[in-house]
Amino acid sequence: MSSKENEPIQLLQGTLDLIVLRTLDSMGSQHAYQIATRLQQVSDRLLNLNQGTLYPALVRLEQYGWIKGTWGKTENNREAKYYAITRAGQKALGEETQRWRRMAGLVEKLLVEES
Amino acid sequence: MRYLRRIFLRFFSLFANSKAEAELDREIAAHLQLLEDDFLDRGMTPEEARRAARCTYGGVEQMKQLHRNERAYQGLATTVMDVQYTLRQLRKSPGFTLTAILMLAFGIGATTAVFSIVEGVLLRPLPFADPNRLVVLGDDLVGSHWDQSSVTAPDIRNYMRDTHSFLHLGGYQRIGLELSSTGDPVHVDATRMSGEVFPTLAIAPLMGHWFTQREDDQHQLVAVLSYGMWRERFHGDEKILGTKILLDRKPYLVIGVMPRDFEFPLVPGHVNNSELWVPLSPRPEEFTAGYAASWNSHMVGRLKPGITPAQAQSDSQLVAEETMRNYPGFMRSLRIRSEVKLLHEDTVAQARPLVDTLLIAVTIVLLIACANLAGLLLVRSIRRRREIAVRLALGARPAMLLRQAMVESLVLSIAGGLVGLAFAAACIRIGISLLPETLPRIHEISLDWPVIAFALGLAILTGLVCGLAPAFAAIRTSVNETLKEGGRTGTSGSGHGRLRSTLVVAEIAVALVLLTASGLLLRSFEKMREVDLGFRVDHTLSAFYVLPQKRYATQSAIDNFTDTLLRNLRQLPGVKAAGISSSLPAAGDGGELAITVEGHVPQKDAGLNMAAVSLMQGDPFQALGVRLLQGRLFTESDKADSQLVAIVNRKLAEHFWPGQDPIGKRLRRGMPETPTPWLTVVGIVDDVKLGSPDDATVEQFYQPVTQLTTSEGAFASAGELSATYGYIVLHTDTPPEQLENSFRAAVRTIDPQLPLIQMQTMEHVIADSEAPRLFNTVLISAFAMIALLLAVLGIYSVIAFSVALREQEMAIRMALGCQRQGVLHLVLTSAAKLGAIGCLLGLLIAAVLSHLLRSFLFGVSPFDPLVLMLSAAAMLSFALAASVLPATRAAKINPIIALRGD
Repeated sequence: MSSKENEPIQLLQGTLDLIVLRTLDSMGSQHAYQIATRLQQVSDRLLNLNQGTLYPALVRLEQYGWIKGTWGKTENNREAKYYAITRAGQKALGEETQRWRRMAGLVEKLLVEES
Repeated sequence: MRYLRRIFLRFFSLFANSKAEAELDREIAAHLQLLEDDFLDRGMTPEEARRAARCTYGGVEQMKQLHRNERAYQGLATTVMDVQYTLRQLRKSPGFTLTAILMLAFGIGATTAVFSIVEGVLLRPLPFADPNRLVVLGDDLVGSHWDQSSVTAPDIRNYMRDTHSFLHLGGYQRIGLELSSTGDPVHVDATRMSGEVFPTLAIAPLMGHWFTQREDDQHQLVAVLSYGMWRERFHGDEKILGTKILLDRKPYLVIGVMPRDFEFPLVPGHVNNSELWVPLSPRPEEFTAGYAASWNSHMVGRLKPGITPAQAQSDSQLVAEETMRNYPGFMRSLRIRSEVKLLHEDTVAQARPLVDTLLIAVTIVLLIACANLAGLLLVRSIRRRREIAVRLALGARPAMLLRQAMVESLVLSIAGGLVGLAFAAACIRIGISLLPETLPRIHEISLDWPVIAFALGLAILTGLVCGLAPAFAAIRTSVNETLKEGGRTGTSGSGHGRLRSTLVVAEIAVALVLLTASGLLLRSFEKMREVDLGFRVDHTLSAFYVLPQKRYATQSAIDNFTDTLLRNLRQLPGVKAAGISSSLPAAGDGGELAITVEGHVPQKDAGLNMAAVSLMQGDPFQALGVRLLQGRLFTESDKADSQLVAIVNRKLAEHFWPGQDPIGKRLRRGMPETPTPWLTVVGIVDDVKLGSPDDATVEQFYQPVTQLTTSEGAFASAGELSATYGYIVLHTDTPPEQLENSFRAAVRTIDPQLPLIQMQTMEHVIADSEAPRLFNTVLISAFAMIALLLAVLGIYSVIAFSVALREQEMAIRMALGCQRQGVLHLVLTSAAKLGAIGCLLGLLIAAVLSHLLRSFLFGVSPFDPLVLMLSAAAMLSFALAASVLPATRAAKINPIIALRGD
């Protein structure tokens, strides 16, 4: 795989993880479709993502031990894998949020000074 | 932490791939279903809903690949598949797998065990700070044949004062001290050393402090204890510092305890380590007379930065020349050369030949194990020729086949390496107790990380090397030819046959090398046992004693003790003779000195005439059973003021007075210029082995201890005491062990505080002196046996396989009328041919390597025809024996069944 193809995902990676964690933290356990829907709502459909893009992020977060997936039923009695944030995930969310804020603040400051 | 967890999971996922894939499929299906439901709710037709769901979800396969990349290390995936494939294959042939793994475990285990010895003894840095700057400094006394460089007391003073190359430099001398303040008096091994030695070694004490040069110069009575001494004799008492202990009945202040792993001097073996250290504080008389010519101390130093050992040596040589200029008249012919060597080299020098031999032995064992594995793999690849041909025909790339073959051999070799490691751990545990004490730092030998890394590295290397040949043989398979052979197995490619034969020949050859080595060592051992030791071994008991100067300050006190002791001992029931000698045969402690013989004009540059002297009291000749050849033994009338007499051994007599009657001839101590009185030879005794039976016999002479001081002439220092120590020897008519208690009691009645050191029978002393050779012999023989076993296994497997391949050929032969006898003959002849070539090659290699073994042999030439012939014959018959089973199996083939098969 060339690095060029990777680029947009690389850029999004940290953000995507943060959004997923944040979503699960505030809305309780969700399946992938719900997360994707939430993502679209929040971004006002500006972020036009294929829903499948979520899966690599989910497996990554699960391997970090930040979220945990269990099979369950939807209200329409369809099966779905529900992801819930773990305690380690909550802690990580706090740290990541801090880091994101510092980063964003820094970039913002730079942009202001440059202009 | 979380990264570690993820790395582990991503690695682990490689092995749980199918499960993860199924889970992913299920999740995607559920996701798509939910999307579809939603679109249906919005009023789409089922067809439209499905399409819209796919659209929203995006490319399923693309996403799956992204998921896989995220989930597991994909680069490793194919390797994991290969490994899984290999494991499946190996499970299908457990016999092959087990043989291969055990064979490698043998080879790698033995190699690893030996490597850990080498690592512990040769490679590990000395346990001192910055060991590469540590050197030993000593004199090479020109004309003597001492191999250890030692120094005299004046040397220590001069070198310490006048050299400029050393950051620190100090002298030391190993001594025995009587420790009597804790319970029963005991003899402890100690070292007196300059205050400079501690900073040279730069190891901080565990408790308290070490003594300084100042304390040494001021002759302070202070002592530093070893960890072992502190734990055992003082029960790890933390308040030991500042207390006083009695050493040789003088009070010493304990000022420090060294850490557990501190050991100095680094003496070979794990016994007689120094248990405490006291200041050298040389007495004034040690700079005069005989002491000035006693090379009985050593020096250790730390080089200044940027100074090489060679520079330090030339610096020291200047000091040595000044020392020689100041020699008193009686030693002006002595010449010394300074020697500076790295401490590490000095420590391992003695062990190197043994370690080298060991390395060669294990290399051979490993080579054989490798050859066996290669043989097995080759056989396997031939068996799978058809499968490989089919896969090639279906488009398998050779690179892939090669990779699979390599993975297979690596899996085997790594498994073998792990089993071998366990095997090595067991070997090391047993081995340490058997290793000869000539190996330095023996307790440091262990299975540690470098050793484990070595073993696994070796396993991987073995796997790569062993896998290559069969792997290439496999991919060279010609698709057409193989598939055309159809059902008929026929007789397979001669190219592979040659490779197999080469392996067998190589195995036989190297195994024979070890076998001859072992044979030669066994013969040497036998020869050593036959050596005439010159004294009686059975019914003899000995013990060593040292009289502390504090109590025995006058010659009369000493003589009083000795006389009473001998009288009491003679009265013990079961004692036939009792005597005291300053040196014990076979104990290896006979110091040599220069002598001058009347009428003997030394040739130019002939060096010094050196002889070992023993001082006798009582009847030591009778007690030891040393044979008198001519003249008389010493008697009570050989007193200090009567005529000075000596008894010489046969070798000395034959050297100086060949073909003459030595009785009445005269010799004296020292060099020609030394003013010493003549000693008249009154008797000649047989040669006695002073060290190990395989050591060369040295020239010896004996003196009555009463005449020592007079005979030393200018060497004697004022007020010198004689007979302060010695080996008491008893000849018993009952088993000597039974006398030990009454022996101790007899000493205790005279001096209750005096410890007897190393009470042992002469049989024991001999066994100790033979131990190193016994060890070498057992070790090499053990390796030879392993090599033989492995080689036989290898020969068997290769021959058995060739026979199996030729089954149809044999069947046809038999169908055409060949007798079973003929088939048997056919197989055995081919084995014999390989065996003969292997043996010839092996003898050649043995001849090339003979110089390595020469230093270990005793009384046997490395080309001893008997040993060479016997080993070759044994090897050949083993090769034949290994092929008998396959041969009889071939002879039992039922032609009808064999030809109908396939």
